[in-house]
Amino acid sequence: MLNRDRLSQMKDLMAERGWDLLLLYGHTWRKDFFRSVININFSGPHAAAAIHRSGEVQAVMSDPWDAELVMDCPAAAGFGAGLEQLARRGGPVAIAGMEMMEARFVQAFSNPVSATFDVEEIRRIKLPREMERMRQAAQLADRGYEHFAGAIEPGMKEYELVAEVEAFLKANGAEDNFMLIASGGTEVTGMKPPTEREFREGDSVTTELTPQVDGYWAQICRTLVLGEPNSKQRESFAIFSEAQKAAEEFLRPGVNIADVARVQNDVFRKYGYGEYTGPKYTRVRGHGLGLHCDENPYILEDVNYTVKQGMTLIAHPNTYLPLSGYMVFGDSLVVTANGCEALNHTERKLFQK
Amino acid sequence: MKRGWITWNQTELPRPAFDARLEAARRRLAERDLPALVVYTDIWRSNRVRHFCNFMPYWNRALLVIPRETPPMLLCGLSPRVYPWIRSVTILDEILPSPNLPQRLLQLCAERAWTRIGALDFRAFPSDLYTPIGKGVAVEDISLPALPDQPELSMYRRAAMMARDGLKEELMRGVGLFDHDFTGLLERKFRRAGAEDLVILLTNGRTPPAPPRGEKLGSTFSISLALEYRGHWIKIIRSPAAQVSDLPGDAYLETLAGPYPYELGEGALFAARWETAHGGVRVFHGDTYLRAPQGAQLL
Repeated sequence: MLNRDRLSQMKDLMAERGWDLLLLYGHTWRKDFFRSVININFSGPHAAAAIHRSGEVQAVMSDPWDAELVMDCPAAAGFGAGLEQLARRGGPVAIAGMEMMEARFVQAFSNPVSATFDVEEIRRIKLPREMERMRQAAQLADRGYEHFAGAIEPGMKEYELVAEVEAFLKANGAEDNFMLIASGGTEVTGMKPPTEREFREGDSVTTELTPQVDGYWAQICRTLVLGEPNSKQRESFAIFSEAQKAAEEFLRPGVNIADVARVQNDVFRKYGYGEYTGPKYTRVRGHGLGLHCDENPYILEDVNYTVKQGMTLIAHPNTYLPLSGYMVFGDSLVVTANGCEALNHTERKLFQK
Repeated sequence: MKRGWITWNQTELPRPAFDARLEAARRRLAERDLPALVVYTDIWRSNRVRHFCNFMPYWNRALLVIPRETPPMLLCGLSPRVYPWIRSVTILDEILPSPNLPQRLLQLCAERAWTRIGALDFRAFPSDLYTPIGKGVAVEDISLPALPDQPELSMYRRAAMMARDGLKEELMRGVGLFDHDFTGLLERKFRRAGAEDLVILLTNGRTPPAPPRGEKLGSTFSISLALEYRGHWIKIIRSPAAQVSDLPGDAYLETLAGPYPYELGEGALFAARWETAHGGVRVFHGDTYLRAPQGAQLL
């Protein structure tokens, strides 16, 4: 439960920065900073891992049930009071996740600084045990998509399909799953939560599945056509496939993440669809993965970041095209010494049923 | 969390209910002579904004601005590509693209010549919003009790009935199943029945209920089921080893209408939980209640 290798890195960071106390904050949705050192899937609203300069670690939880689950270090329930007690010790305090922490909690400390950027940078490079979990999550994403493609039928409602996929993923060990979906034709401009819309023959059905295993999220993006894909759907998929391949062939340590976006967008430009690579039609060309399902750096042409070995991310050129509406395609990747390796093994094709 | 079926049934939750809630907020603004109220929402703290307009940010975050004289506006971090969906499930017409929420809010204040605004539970805003907003405009921290009105109570009751009836049907099936399998079974059942979200915790009684961890469930297992039905959360805890019992005086209580530490005043909804010993293991029980004038009333 206690990630001692990561803890050691945090202690080095504290020494380098001169911090007496480092708080790794988490709330119900963003547990990632907390879980980077104390990997407990807490159920209460707030939790913080407090690392002292001495190396002592303690957990401050909201819910007494959560405090009971912490095994490798002292833990107490009562979040606000726990923070105030820590604040009374004095000394320089840094908080990872300070930006998302409620102001009333931050105000318990005198002039805390944000450790978010530094801790995110440490977390980007996955440790061997973390990589095992990333691989497990990616494997579950593959199985989840297989279930998705097997379960979908014309006449089924979007939310009914999501119920089937959630049930499958949870039964097979997922703690959580981030999932978006869309179905239809050229009128579809993006994915969203499921609606009561019924699937129809000819629909293009897009989804991103992101199961979480022991804290770690991996993602897969695929598009499926109900019935025989038409020529425009095939033409569109060929562009997405080429763009994703371009990213995967380009990605290696030392390249700029902006260029990982550029090589994908260049494929769209080559076919005359450059305007569909901007924020009007798409969000990002990929993003980091790990203890959060949407980590920095975002893969965008205006983000400047040098890729490092051991980073895990997804490259997905998801966007709207007038050919067939919104389409998605992407796999989780780990950056290796000379390139990258796909963590997903689902067939790379335009699925049909 | 929050990736289930988000919808708005106007028969179940009619537009006048939102008008009445907005009017209550505007009365508070008038009392304080403030031109607008700002309410924060994100993927897990969505109750208060949902109360006013039914918006649920399945991703990203947003600020709802309720001016005293004009309809509410949403400052939204989501892409304009999903605005048609937002309009289909909320009362909102005006949605302002806001990749930088504080900047957009301060721009709006300047455009409308607002020099003071109210913010609902301002100190509970994330600090990266609290600081720049507080520096850019005078903000008064406004508190509105999170008390459910009749349409909300009906929906909370429906959620509670869905959870109780569903668990009554399935509870014994859990015995002998692995916790992950039982969780999957319940996910399918409740989501197909219209639940928007679920949080399921299980235990065989050696620890409190926790997320599934690969244990086979015995005859004295306990389950904590938090279920959201169209924005309305309830929580129940059951065990095949425990009969439903009355709320004991030493139960652990938590407010359900939001993450903030509202006092459990009259009219508030709360979840209560307690434990007993059974054959050497801990057995848990709990339910959702309304604090009525005559005491706790099972929802």
